[in-house]
Amino acid sequence: MINVLYLDDEAHNLTAFRAAFRRDFQVHVTTEPTEAVRILREQPIEVIISDQKMPKLSGVEFFELIMPDYPNPVRMLLTGHADIDAVIDAINKGQIYKYISKPWNESELKALVQEASDLFHHRQGMASEGAKLMQRMNEARLHSTRIQRLTEGQVELNAEKTEDIARLAREITQLLDSN
Amino acid sequence: MGCSIRIRGLRTAWIGVFLAMISTVGAQEFIGTRVESLDQSLTPALMGVEAVALSENWSAHTDRVPNLGLSDDVQWIRVILDSKTENGMLLEIQNAGIDELTGYMICDGKVTASFERGVIASSHVESTMGTYPTFPIPLTECDELTVLFRLKSSKPLLLPMRIAGPREIIGDSHQRDVLFAAYFGVILVMLLYNLFLFFSVGDRSYLEYSLFILMIGGTQLVLNGYTSYLQIQSLPWLNLRITHFFGVFSGLTTIVFVQNFLRLSRYVPWLHKLLNFYFVIYLIAFVLAIFGQLIWSYNVINFCAAAIFFCIPGSIITMRKGYAPAKYFLLAFTIFIIAVLVFVLKDSGIIPYNAWTFFALPLGSAIEMVVLSLALASRINQLKKESAIAREEQMRSLQLNERLVREQNNVLEDRVKSRTADLEEMNSTMRATLEELQSAQQQLVQSEKLASIGQLTAGIAHELNNPINFVSSSAQSLRRDFEDLNEVVDAVKTLDPAMEDIGSKVEALKSKLAKLDIDFTQREIDELLKGIEDGTMRTSEIVRGLRIFSRMDGDNFIQAQVNELIESTLIVLRSNLKDVATVRYTLADNLPLVTCQPGRLNQVFMNIITNAAQSMEGLEREFEDNEVYIQTALTESIGQSWIEVRIKDSGVGMPEGVKSQIFDPFFTTKPVGEGTGLGLSIVMGILRDHNAEVEVESEEGLGSEFIIRFPL
Repeated sequence: MINVLYLDDEAHNLTAFRAAFRRDFQVHVTTEPTEAVRILREQPIEVIISDQKMPKLSGVEFFELIMPDYPNPVRMLLTGHADIDAVIDAINKGQIYKYISKPWNESELKALVQEASDLFHHRQGMASEGAKLMQRMNEARLHSTRIQRLTEGQVELNAEKTEDIARLAREITQLLDSN
Repeated sequence: MGCSIRIRGLRTAWIGVFLAMISTVGAQEFIGTRVESLDQSLTPALMGVEAVALSENWSAHTDRVPNLGLSDDVQWIRVILDSKTENGMLLEIQNAGIDELTGYMICDGKVTASFERGVIASSHVESTMGTYPTFPIPLTECDELTVLFRLKSSKPLLLPMRIAGPREIIGDSHQRDVLFAAYFGVILVMLLYNLFLFFSVGDRSYLEYSLFILMIGGTQLVLNGYTSYLQIQSLPWLNLRITHFFGVFSGLTTIVFVQNFLRLSRYVPWLHKLLNFYFVIYLIAFVLAIFGQLIWSYNVINFCAAAIFFCIPGSIITMRKGYAPAKYFLLAFTIFIIAVLVFVLKDSGIIPYNAWTFFALPLGSAIEMVVLSLALASRINQLKKESAIAREEQMRSLQLNERLVREQNNVLEDRVKSRTADLEEMNSTMRATLEELQSAQQQLVQSEKLASIGQLTAGIAHELNNPINFVSSSAQSLRRDFEDLNEVVDAVKTLDPAMEDIGSKVEALKSKLAKLDIDFTQREIDELLKGIEDGTMRTSEIVRGLRIFSRMDGDNFIQAQVNELIESTLIVLRSNLKDVATVRYTLADNLPLVTCQPGRLNQVFMNIITNAAQSMEGLEREFEDNEVYIQTALTESIGQSWIEVRIKDSGVGMPEGVKSQIFDPFFTTKPVGEGTGLGLSIVMGILRDHNAEVEVESEEGLGSEFIIRFPL
């Protein structure tokens, strides 16, 4: 189940949202930005939806606030009133993935959340792949260091050493090819 | 011109009479060569008459008319008479101006008779025959008959003497009298005529001329022994000096007359100054005469008389300078000077002493006067001509002026016309500009209105979006929840207590219930329904507010509740205000309806509330500090009920300079492009239409408050 967080000052919207999507996603809703931050801390949130027009704090401002600590969840802005300048600004700064206007279309919204979740997981996957690659690269570097050491200052190579070097080279090739 | 003709007529008449008279005066025999005078240096001061007569120092004269000159001393002369032929006759000295004159008849060395005939004596001596002193030659038989004269005078002792019978003397005297009478007649006529002219014309030169005539005539009168007619015999002091005085005054009047007549100050300034000098000298002569220095006085007068010669060059210069009357003047003075010359030459014996020469002076002076009259007339004509020319000149310049004025008027008229046309053109341009401005203003007002409407629409869209969003979403969710419930219900329906596997079925149902989380579903249904109810209510509230607010374009005055207007404004503004400030309000529940244009009042409230909210936008502070507080109340002041609306914010406030301008059109504190600056000016216009009062209180940093009072 996808973990979705929805922030809106209108409580009825929260109820409607939960009722609409609780069967498909793990839905977390709140009217308070502070509560939203708490949920982010405690739950593995993949997608964050926020209303733009709220007292005290706008949606874009909320996103800006949580960015440093929670950069991974995909952010979507929901508003009934086109505050175009804020939206353009937010999109350009990469703070939001999608802009959704009220009233929402349930299936569309559902698809968007799905998409956002996929994006989230894709990014996660990319991140772990990258980490694994980094690890193999480090090992390969280690092997090459060893080869360097073996060939250092040696005028002639004995069979044993030559075999070691060949083994290490094979392993490097293996490491780099395993992708 | 008439003046001149009359004068000419007079002249002809008088000159005719005068010439006729003169022709009757025969040649006279003077006995100058028989006169002997006593050398004064050899004559003791105090001497008896007889001793004088016996003196050895007599010397004979050679002139027909002896001239003893001017001297302060006593003079003696004698004439040896022929006692045979001349006794019983009269000895006449034709000089009436001798101050002291005593004649002694000496018969054989004895004084037989003496006669006082001097000017001084004339007061107590019977006038002799005629105007000249005469001495009767006694009829006494004598061997030697001598007449001795003692003379003393402050005037030259010119002694034309003759011996003639009484009949001849009296006859001549009468003739002379007639001639002088004619002369004085001329003088008098001239005098009166010129005086008359002076009084009628008012020209000063006539008076001067009159005085001049008077003095010249007077001088002739005195010189020819007619002093007695002046009746001053009883005043010897004056009698002694009368000749001097007339000499002085004729000189003075001549100078004044000449100066003014010839306009010397203008034409010959140097002569004018010179004559002024002579004027002063004459005055000195006058003073000398008064103080008894008669000889000196006479000398001075004589010296001054030369001034007359300056009249010739003066008049010539003046004439050359185009002053026509000067030619008459020149003629008159030339004649007069010739007469004087004749008179002088006659006295010195160069030309014979006869009636013509004798009368040369009065005749010359008479002619001079007549000619001067002509000169005056000519002067009058000249003046007339000059004044006519001046008038003509004036007329011409007047006409010129008039023409200029007319032309100027035309120019002015043209200019006024062109200016008027310009003005009209400018006027029409301005009218067009004004119309453009008015339409621009209308457009601005319209666009301000449209902007408000746009702002509102956005706000209302948002306000409506939320309830629509959750109502529609809830409806879909409800359907799913009911599907779940229906599934359970359907399952329950299949249950029959008679069924053998009822227990397992119930168990299955229970697990289904648990799986569907029916408890939650039920709670959710409740919440969703509540949301739908709330959403519907809110939607209808917004629509109602909108309906009230949408009277914006309705400019009709109707009865409306101010509270309701404010509430509807707040509804449509809610979403705009939501993220800016909290709105609090206290609306009095006793407000009566007020006659107003609700749509336009909404615009007023919306403008002020929006401004209030904007004054707090972007302030770095807690959201709770941003508050708009609206209050309505019923108040009483100055005997009138008012509905008072206060809209207060806790924004930035305004400095005095801004506060005083907020209602000015196009004044805005917002950046360029963000406000038209018309909002509050429109508000002011609307409130003015409602006779409402507006008061603004503001303190920088603390906020502003708008207080609006509607009269009831």
